Amino acid sequence: MNLVAAISILPIVATITTLITRSAVTNRVLVPIFCSLQFASILCWSLPIFRGGSSTLSPMSDFSVTKLGVCFLLLTTFVVACSLTHAGTFFAAESRQNSSYRADQEQFFYASSTLCLLAMSFIFVCDNLGYLWISIEATTLCSASLVYYSRTKHALEATWKYLIVCSVGIAFALLGTVLIFAASQHGACNGGSLNIQVLLSHAELLQPNLLKLGYIFCLLGFGTKAGIFPLHSWLPDAHSEAPAPASAILSGALLNCALFAIYRIAGLMGLTHHCALSSTLPIYWGALTALAASLFLIHQSGIKRLWAYSSIENVGIMLVAIGLDSPLLFFLQALNHSLAKVGLFLLSGNIIQALGTKDLSQIRGVLTTSPTWGILLAVSAIAVTGSPPFGAFLSEWLILTKCTDSRHWLAALILLVAIALSFVAVCIHASRILLGPARTDSTSFRPLLASIVPAVLCVGVTASGLTTLPSFLQNLL
Amino acid sequence: MIVLTNIELTVLMSAVLAALMVGSVHLRVNLWLYGATTILIAIATGLTAYPNEEPSLLLIALLIAGLKSIAIPLFLAWTMDRIHVHRDLGALVAPPIAMHSSILLLGLSFLLTQGLPTPSGTGAGWYGASAGISLVLTGLLLMLTRRLAISQIIGFLVIENGIYVFALTQTRGMPLIIEMGILLDVLVGVMLAGLLTFKIQETFEHIDIAKLTDLKD
Amino acid sequence: MITELIHWLFFLLSVLLAPIVILGTIRKTKARLQARRGAPILQAAFDLIRLAQKGETVSSTASWIFRAASTIGLCNVLLISWLVPWLSFAPWAPPADLFLVVYLFAMSRIFTLLAALDTGSAFGAFGASREATLSLLVEPAALLGLVALGATSRTSDLREIFSFTNTHLQMNPAIWLLVGTAIILSSLVELSRMPIDDPTTHLELTMVHEAMILEASGRNLAIIEFTHALRMSVLFGLSVQCFMRAAPAVWKLPEIIQAMITIIGLLTIAMAVGVFESLAVKLQWRRIPEFIAYAITMSLLAALIAVAGGIV
Repeated sequence: MNLVAAISILPIVATITTLITRSAVTNRVLVPIFCSLQFASILCWSLPIFRGGSSTLSPMSDFSVTKLGVCFLLLTTFVVACSLTHAGTFFAAESRQNSSYRADQEQFFYASSTLCLLAMSFIFVCDNLGYLWISIEATTLCSASLVYYSRTKHALEATWKYLIVCSVGIAFALLGTVLIFAASQHGACNGGSLNIQVLLSHAELLQPNLLKLGYIFCLLGFGTKAGIFPLHSWLPDAHSEAPAPASAILSGALLNCALFAIYRIAGLMGLTHHCALSSTLPIYWGALTALAASLFLIHQSGIKRLWAYSSIENVGIMLVAIGLDSPLLFFLQALNHSLAKVGLFLLSGNIIQALGTKDLSQIRGVLTTSPTWGILLAVSAIAVTGSPPFGAFLSEWLILTKCTDSRHWLAALILLVAIALSFVAVCIHASRILLGPARTDSTSFRPLLASIVPAVLCVGVTASGLTTLPSFLQNLL
Repeated sequence: MIVLTNIELTVLMSAVLAALMVGSVHLRVNLWLYGATTILIAIATGLTAYPNEEPSLLLIALLIAGLKSIAIPLFLAWTMDRIHVHRDLGALVAPPIAMHSSILLLGLSFLLTQGLPTPSGTGAGWYGASAGISLVLTGLLLMLTRRLAISQIIGFLVIENGIYVFALTQTRGMPLIIEMGILLDVLVGVMLAGLLTFKIQETFEHIDIAKLTDLKD
Repeated sequence: MITELIHWLFFLLSVLLAPIVILGTIRKTKARLQARRGAPILQAAFDLIRLAQKGETVSSTASWIFRAASTIGLCNVLLISWLVPWLSFAPWAPPADLFLVVYLFAMSRIFTLLAALDTGSAFGAFGASREATLSLLVEPAALLGLVALGATSRTSDLREIFSFTNTHLQMNPAIWLLVGTAIILSSLVELSRMPIDDPTTHLELTMVHEAMILEASGRNLAIIEFTHALRMSVLFGLSVQCFMRAAPAVWKLPEIIQAMITIIGLLTIAMAVGVFESLAVKLQWRRIPEFIAYAITMSLLAALIAVAGGIV
């Protein structure tokens, strides 16, 4: 079996299944099973890679998988599996409470999310800039329907913004891809190539001007998709208007995909000794993104917008890790952020369902209404800000030290301020959510079933800080 | 003395047509001009295919002519008829000014692309690149100055055309399968955006994007 | 000497006949498209003669400017037609700087405006204000196009630019086509024809040119009408000259064939204008700038080519 078949069969089967089953309940059970199977199958065929050998899958041109790619593939599949598992309880509650709930919308949601999983998986295995671009644009198209799930005015506005801003952004990434392709035709390889391995092996021969331009356009384009600072306008809207499981997928999986694309291209740039472009630019841009996002965090009105801006802040930190050319730190930060943020979005979805509002000023006393959710929310919120003992502390600390080691003092300082600001802002908002008098009119809910997935994620994020996972990853990457 | 190859002439003409498109507020005229622009680009693709003997480019030329220059404008025209929107009256910059700016942008793109190395064996050089960049800038201008959803889609399509022209004139043929993938993505994107336009008209009773400002910080 | 005499003869003949024939052709084309037989081609000449024989009424509030303006305008346009190479042949004339020509047109407009304002009628002022606005908008188009030609041929003398011995512009069809289009578009505005103004209706609220000459009558009106028609032939002729120079083959042809191409071109443009006028709808006043913008765009493109030609 080859790589493409290995990653595409299960998502395609899952999509077809969701489209032909008539019962919503079947989807709620089947789709998580398919996603878990996908996770297991990736784990199975990638174990030899982790052991230091090569994959059991037959090789294919333009498709190959690196260790980092497998790590991200596993993380993405895990995030999607968790979100869709939780989606079962989410939609069950939705169908009970929300009068505008419609079964066909839910079916469409499951179909789009499995398609989105397929598109996202391709990003990590394709070894060709063209396929990379196609996959990223495909994720935009698939996830647009996730954002549009609730069919309200606000959802429509957010979807439109998401689709147009990201499509235009990614169009610039296409221009960048074309420029890199043109760069490869000037002496590097006859006829040009988009294959990343070929480009990497001929990095010195690429036409430098075209390559630089291409790199900048790719950074701009994929950066739009990742929500880098001045291009982030779509991100809070889309994340806050999407249903909770979709927000979790957007934040926990899709942002990593765009950053992974930037990582691949920055890696290519790094080999050509244009140090300023391949490392300084992402480092400072990332630090500025983190700072801007943490400033936005201070004054927020919606609970999911809050976490969306926190995602932007983390994107900034990951971009710094990319600029430092450290796959380990990039993945560690992505892992910790994804686990904590998925938990946060899912819990916020529960809270929004229970209280019927997204408005932060209306959400009070969750700790008294539902202690389980309150504790889980507190843990995840602390974890996402990067305080010990959670994994994000370690990764952010390492990024900061590496930043100073490479003498990017200003970037380290900006990053430090951003992390501190976001810690304070998230703590204040979280304490307002958790403490205070509870509203009396909140409807009854089943906290236990809806807290299983967030609880698992909390355990995960704690484990990544307390266990030897980082050193294991260090040996691996 | 300016000497242009046929390919350069064709793509420059398409860039000029796109600039003229900016000057009209009639969406139907815009669609017509977009179709003409794209047909010219398809012809340029065919012209590139001929001397290089790349039959795959001929296939792409046919696909562009069929899908992008006929099917997409027809789809958008059908959408416009369904929602009874024919003019983008709320242009943020007066269309004449926008059209003159896009001509100036054409000049600007001549300057911008001067530093690019000349590609070999594509039958087009500097002028092709500047036509591509000018289309991209014109599309951006269209997206920035127009308010209606349909105009935004047209602007996006013009940007995409520009990138395609740039690829056509600056590289010796992108791999066929990647071209097809890009085409598919663009088609699906336009379909989605068109359907969303329906929904926006249904929900808000207008398709003025500038008025969609409920979500902000 | 003989050729010079023949040139003068043909030139005078063209100045007299071309306006009449062009006007007649436009009207005939429109009539045919509306399934009417239409007036004979030379009807405009009969109209002018009839007008000249009629008596004249001059408003008691009008000053000498009202009468003088039409005569000055006619002289002005005759001067322009002598200077501007709107035919492929021309008698001897002093060098015609393109700026001089553009502002001679502006001067004839000033006198038309003055005459319209002089009588103090409401419609005259109305038309004058509109005419002033239009000329303000259209002037950059005409000027920029001609300057683009001048810049490419390294001279500002119109005769020099349009002479068939000037090799700078010989292989440059794009710039000729663009300038020709710019001139024809701006002349539609300048001459108050469709889609700016409908010359056949007399609805005062929408008129531009007709509103200005509402007070004129008799011989005065005949002079104004002839001036207008001559201006039209000069402008159309200029654009024909541009279009025919776009074909490199034309440059090498003998003079007599070039002259025939000019005549055919003038008639074609007249018919094209007739067809366009029967198809087009008059634009709303507020949307006229959108139309003029296309003329300016053509000139801008021509200027762009001129600049690019200078760089390369």
